[in-house]
Amino acid sequence: MFYGLSGVRHNSYVSDSKLFPVPADRNAVVFFLLLGLAAPYLVSSLYLNSYILPWLIWTAAVLGLNLVTGWAGQLHLGYAAVMAVGAYSAVHAAKFGIPWEFALLIGGLASSVIGSLFAFAALRTKGLYLALTTLAMQFVMDWVLTHSPTIAGGSHASLQSPTFALLGQDITSDAGLYYVAFGWCVLVTIFMLNLRRTGLGRALVAVREKDFAAAILGVNSFYYKLVAFAASSFIAGVSGAILVATFYFLAAPEQFAVNVSIQVLAMVIVGGLGSILGSYLGAALILLMPGVVNQLFSLGANLLGLDLGIETLAHIPNAAYGALIVIFLMVEPLGLGKLYANVRDYLMVWPFDQLKK
Amino acid sequence: MKTKTYVKRLAAAAVMGLTSLSAANAAEDTIKFGMCYDLSKSYTFVTPQITQAAQDLATLTNMKGGIGGHEIEIIVQDHGNEPQRGIECYEKLKREGVFVFDMLSTPVSIAVLPRIMKDKNILIQSLVGRGDAADGSVFSQIFPVGPTYWGQAANDIAYIKEQSGGDMKGVKVGFAYLDYPFGQEPIEILKTLAEKEGFELLLYPVPLPGSDQASVWTKVRRDKPDYVVAWLLAGGHVVAAKEMKRNGFPISNYISVNWLNEVDIANIGAEAAIGLKRGTNVAGGQDLPIIQEILADVYGAGKGAGPVEKINDVYYNTGLAIYSAAFEAARLAVEQNGFPVTPDSMKAGYESIVDFDANGLFAPITVTADDHGGGGKTRIEMWDGKTWVPQQDWTAAYTDVIWDVVKESSSKFTVE
Repeated sequence: MFYGLSGVRHNSYVSDSKLFPVPADRNAVVFFLLLGLAAPYLVSSLYLNSYILPWLIWTAAVLGLNLVTGWAGQLHLGYAAVMAVGAYSAVHAAKFGIPWEFALLIGGLASSVIGSLFAFAALRTKGLYLALTTLAMQFVMDWVLTHSPTIAGGSHASLQSPTFALLGQDITSDAGLYYVAFGWCVLVTIFMLNLRRTGLGRALVAVREKDFAAAILGVNSFYYKLVAFAASSFIAGVSGAILVATFYFLAAPEQFAVNVSIQVLAMVIVGGLGSILGSYLGAALILLMPGVVNQLFSLGANLLGLDLGIETLAHIPNAAYGALIVIFLMVEPLGLGKLYANVRDYLMVWPFDQLKK
Repeated sequence: MKTKTYVKRLAAAAVMGLTSLSAANAAEDTIKFGMCYDLSKSYTFVTPQITQAAQDLATLTNMKGGIGGHEIEIIVQDHGNEPQRGIECYEKLKREGVFVFDMLSTPVSIAVLPRIMKDKNILIQSLVGRGDAADGSVFSQIFPVGPTYWGQAANDIAYIKEQSGGDMKGVKVGFAYLDYPFGQEPIEILKTLAEKEGFELLLYPVPLPGSDQASVWTKVRRDKPDYVVAWLLAGGHVVAAKEMKRNGFPISNYISVNWLNEVDIANIGAEAAIGLKRGTNVAGGQDLPIIQEILADVYGAGKGAGPVEKINDVYYNTGLAIYSAAFEAARLAVEQNGFPVTPDSMKAGYESIVDFDANGLFAPITVTADDHGGGGKTRIEMWDGKTWVPQQDWTAAYTDVIWDVVKESSSKFTVE
């Protein structure tokens, strides 16, 4: 059905390594791209700027973490700290009078440099030990932010971001801010889609599967780990800066604390390691579900006329949300991205797979 | 029987759901307050009492005919202390016609501040958020009615000065604080005052989350400070009390920040806590006209928003104080500019509050266009084993020093 493969023949390696071997996938991507472009005209500004905009930026960030965790196989528990480096450097640069285009780059590069330090830890440690090392770096960053007023912006630890502008044009409208987030997310997605098809991507996967086996094959695992950390940190830095510039409008340490690191990692794992669609779905589940479940429960309680106290109403959604994550991971341990792939694989051969039964 | 009523209710609710859209647009005859609170994470030690107080006070006010004949509507939503969800709550309620918000969380208040300023709505920010928001000339839309942490710390020092006979030479004051922005905030003020008054300031940082204070209090034993001012939260006080006992530091020389309530006292032990002091801008105990009225009229009629036992808590009084001031501002707004209340008239209402103390519930406040804190008066109260006993009159000391700090900090803020 929908994913007809008849008539699709690959006569060369180039055609075989096409971005979308199945036409239906490509059509779906084009459809969602158009939907994303038209979103400001389709959804209300509440949903556009309070739900979709942060979702897209977080998705870009999750894709970055997926690069280092899903592709290169390096567990990273200090991702929010790397985002913070980008956000703070970019805002400071913009406050200094540097145009935002360059400020974002500076943020990305600063993150890259600091993030690569994590890679040196990765050279020496693996698995859970690496996770703990990165977690320690997160705590170092938290400490630096709460103890250095010059970086964090005074005793209240909040650093205002100057008005976001691109090409000399101030961007303040809801739609404008949305398009910035959308553009960045699309850029990162295109990069990640293509990464799969390149030698770099294959080398990262080789390092993930077994780094010394990769070394025997001539893949310099240290070099590729470093590249993975640097590239993912760059994405993190720019995402953090865009998050502050278009959504929070100021940077505060709580926005990049250790719980945020755990949340981003949860987005990657719930979405599926190494899955691009999964990054979108994982970010949506972790970021938006608490609010949605909350509303569903208060609506339900209203409909049934149940008088649950406000505290109970605040806690039940948390439990439901936790249960939801457990259920999704039990149904498909490889994540939400794989759930979709399962459906797709089933539909690819349906109804012909019924014949042999 | 039961299912039948459920079905009826469902049907009624469905109809209401359909009509509610048009109804909401047509009947804007209530005054709405949006409480985006952390009901599930870090602030749960205080949010239930404060929401209960706000709802009870609204019920009482509505029973008496509301504000200028219009009912008060309190909308509560959880944000789990996450800036992202706080912003979501703000944006959602904003579109439902709410323009007075209260976040009761420092990270979330800070996160919504740029939006509040840009949209020209009103943010109630008592006891949380950035302290320099008291400067109304810069933070025109923010109303942190009550003391700043700076002012509170300065008032504590004034009390110690009073106790030391007006001369602080040779007096040692310890400052035990949680080592993150909440606890670090008063340090600068304390240093300035130490220089001014000539007392010795000893700093005791307590690592988060405040459950390990062994090293802090052995140091206290060595240094022998005359008083310890404590910027700790909830359980932190209980740990401190234990360590004080172990190290022979008298609990009567312990002056807590306002975040200490009857739950903590019960955990320390009501007897063991006798003599413990607490800086506050809200009177403790139930012997207050407004609480007696709520007990009689609201709980007497079975309309309380929560269990009646929870009223026996200074955080309940704190909630009443925040919302008495807010409702007073709304009342003045209706009186001056009529109904409906707008952000502008609400702001004007707040700024014309003069010497208001809700019958002795809290320190009298006078909010002006420049001072959105209302004067920042506090007093020291002591736990006597059963209730809180005031140790002095409401005072605001060293206001010039405080305002220097406020101005210095707020001058760096610009609306983008």
